Amino acid sequence: MKLKVTLSASLFAITAALLPRVAAAEVAPLDLVAPIADYKIYVSENLEKLVADTKTFTDAVKAGELDKAKSLFGSTRMSYEAIEPIAELFSDLDGSIDSRADDHEKAEKDPEFTGFHRIEYGLFAENSTKDLAPFADKLLADVTELNKRITELTLPPEKVVGGAAALMEEVAATKISGEEDRYSHTDLWDFKANFDGSRKIFDLVRPLIEKTDGEFITKVSGNFDKVDVTLSKYKKGDGYELYDKLTDDDRAVLAAAVNTLAEDLSTLRGKLGLN
Amino acid sequence: MTSKTGPASTPPSQKLMKLAVAGAAILAVAGAGAFYFASKNMKSGTPDNAVVVTIKDGTCDPNAITVPAGRSTFKIINNSDRALEWEILDGVMVLEERENILPGFTQTMQAKLKAGDYEITCGLLSSPRGTLRVTPSAESEAEAARPPLVSFVGALAEFQVFLMTQTNSLVKAVTAMDEAIKAGDLEKARELYQKARAPYKQIEPMADLFADLHNAIDPIADYLEKREQDPAFTGFHRIEFGLYSSNSLDGLAPVSAKLLADVTALKDRVRGLRIPPEQIAKGAARLMGSIADTKIAAGEDHYSKTDLLDFEANLAGTSRMMALLKPVAAPAAPTVVADIETRLAEANTALAALRGTDGYPAYDKVTKDSRDVLAQKMKALADSIDKLNTAVGLE
Repeated sequence: MKLKVTLSASLFAITAALLPRVAAAEVAPLDLVAPIADYKIYVSENLEKLVADTKTFTDAVKAGELDKAKSLFGSTRMSYEAIEPIAELFSDLDGSIDSRADDHEKAEKDPEFTGFHRIEYGLFAENSTKDLAPFADKLLADVTELNKRITELTLPPEKVVGGAAALMEEVAATKISGEEDRYSHTDLWDFKANFDGSRKIFDLVRPLIEKTDGEFITKVSGNFDKVDVTLSKYKKGDGYELYDKLTDDDRAVLAAAVNTLAEDLSTLRGKLGLN
Repeated sequence: MTSKTGPASTPPSQKLMKLAVAGAAILAVAGAGAFYFASKNMKSGTPDNAVVVTIKDGTCDPNAITVPAGRSTFKIINNSDRALEWEILDGVMVLEERENILPGFTQTMQAKLKAGDYEITCGLLSSPRGTLRVTPSAESEAEAARPPLVSFVGALAEFQVFLMTQTNSLVKAVTAMDEAIKAGDLEKARELYQKARAPYKQIEPMADLFADLHNAIDPIADYLEKREQDPAFTGFHRIEFGLYSSNSLDGLAPVSAKLLADVTALKDRVRGLRIPPEQIAKGAARLMGSIADTKIAAGEDHYSKTDLLDFEANLAGTSRMMALLKPVAAPAAPTVVADIETRLAEANTALAALRGTDGYPAYDKVTKDSRDVLAQKMKALADSIDKLNTAVGLE
């Protein structure tokens, strides 16, 4: 079945004229260059760390050091999760690095189920490093390739700015529920990384709208702070408590703040003239 | 990639949501009826005419979609038994996606699409993909032919990253050279001199915008009254003079300290540089032109005779600049962009032809004929780049 959608030019013009003009023109396009450039540097630094951390993690997996590999799982993922809006732009690598069992027909038993969560399944659900070496090699090769591709990629500005909201939506959809790291329960590590990545984007573009949109800045900053304070209660050593330690009250606080943040941050693109 | 299953903690709200969705569906049917009557008096569609895609058993219905370029709205109905994400793919690149669509739910997604052929995902990673054809519209053609300023933001940001990376390498290499000079290590200082030179030459079209720094970092003796003895003879070539002509580090320490201060200042200034897009092609064309017109004949590296290495770095920088502009410039000016690429390749070939097994020969060993060929290629490249700004509507 083939569907053809047509929209007459005249009707388009009428619609465009009727739509409210969002305060977009106040930010000059050239003002966006420095924040996007700074974000690319942030992405590159995270990718370098991801490759280095993944090497250490996969070395432990291949050496059969089960406890060490388990302890490295949460922290290794953080640099991936922090830059997820960019990291997941390549569908092939996103699938091989970070897909869930549910994305595959035969779930955990599917040969295409690879990457972080496949190794997580082995380490935490099967409690073994047995047969994980090929997945470890593949993961390291994939994050290395990801680094290479993103280095050469011109970041689409609307994906960068839209990433602030995308990361909070990601938290709302997969971290609040504890769905993502279902075998290891290290969701709070991912949560923290998504949160930091979102706040980084917000902080980079903040000076562009500080004067015109003070109220928005205050509200968003307040909610970021609320999440930060709540999350910091669960800090443990260099990382975080397991997800089941999160109280219902705190989960509710986080869920509310994250949903509001996702909603508010989704207006950033419009505010910056990138819709 | 995100969730494929729903929030486990909130089953009651899911049920509520399903009721709400059912309610919305009834409203939608009612709305569709109202729309039918309303549209009888209209000749064309409505801004609300979203493309509805239903996903079930790993297939998209419809499986082949055509929309005009510009903004489109997609309504994704998940009639499968698993949560899914829906993506529009350009090769392996994700253009737009909607994540975590729960079974029985519908999500709406807006996408601003350029003309081209894309794929859509239909459930599991292994599910066959559908196709999305985006046909050119008058509006999209006009925008591609004369890209608005905002479409250069990505390229300019990447250019800024390039400038930062190169000035970082520059400061690092000059620091290392400065240490070698202070330590009295002539051999090492020579090696590091060449390392420091390349990043400066890569960003030369931007570096020479700062006249004061440029005159301190890269003056050549030919233009100074007392030549090598002139107090204004500072920077790279003053150090080169010591390293390769006097074969001595005598008196170089203060020159090197000053060069380090100057390249550090350059790094800081480049950081805050607000570069309008037309500056990129303008700067590249100007530099290639001056190489063709004067530098190839006269040479600049009189003592180390490494001019060909300088040209190589200049060309590498120019290639980078053109590659950054290409995604925006190619749809607007395909012929000019293709011509620039041809000229760049020819200039690189002419330069590579001079390269022997031990690298480039000393510049005074390069014959006039070879220099003429190189100059001609550089000139052709400069002329080609010179056409770019007009062709993409930047001037």
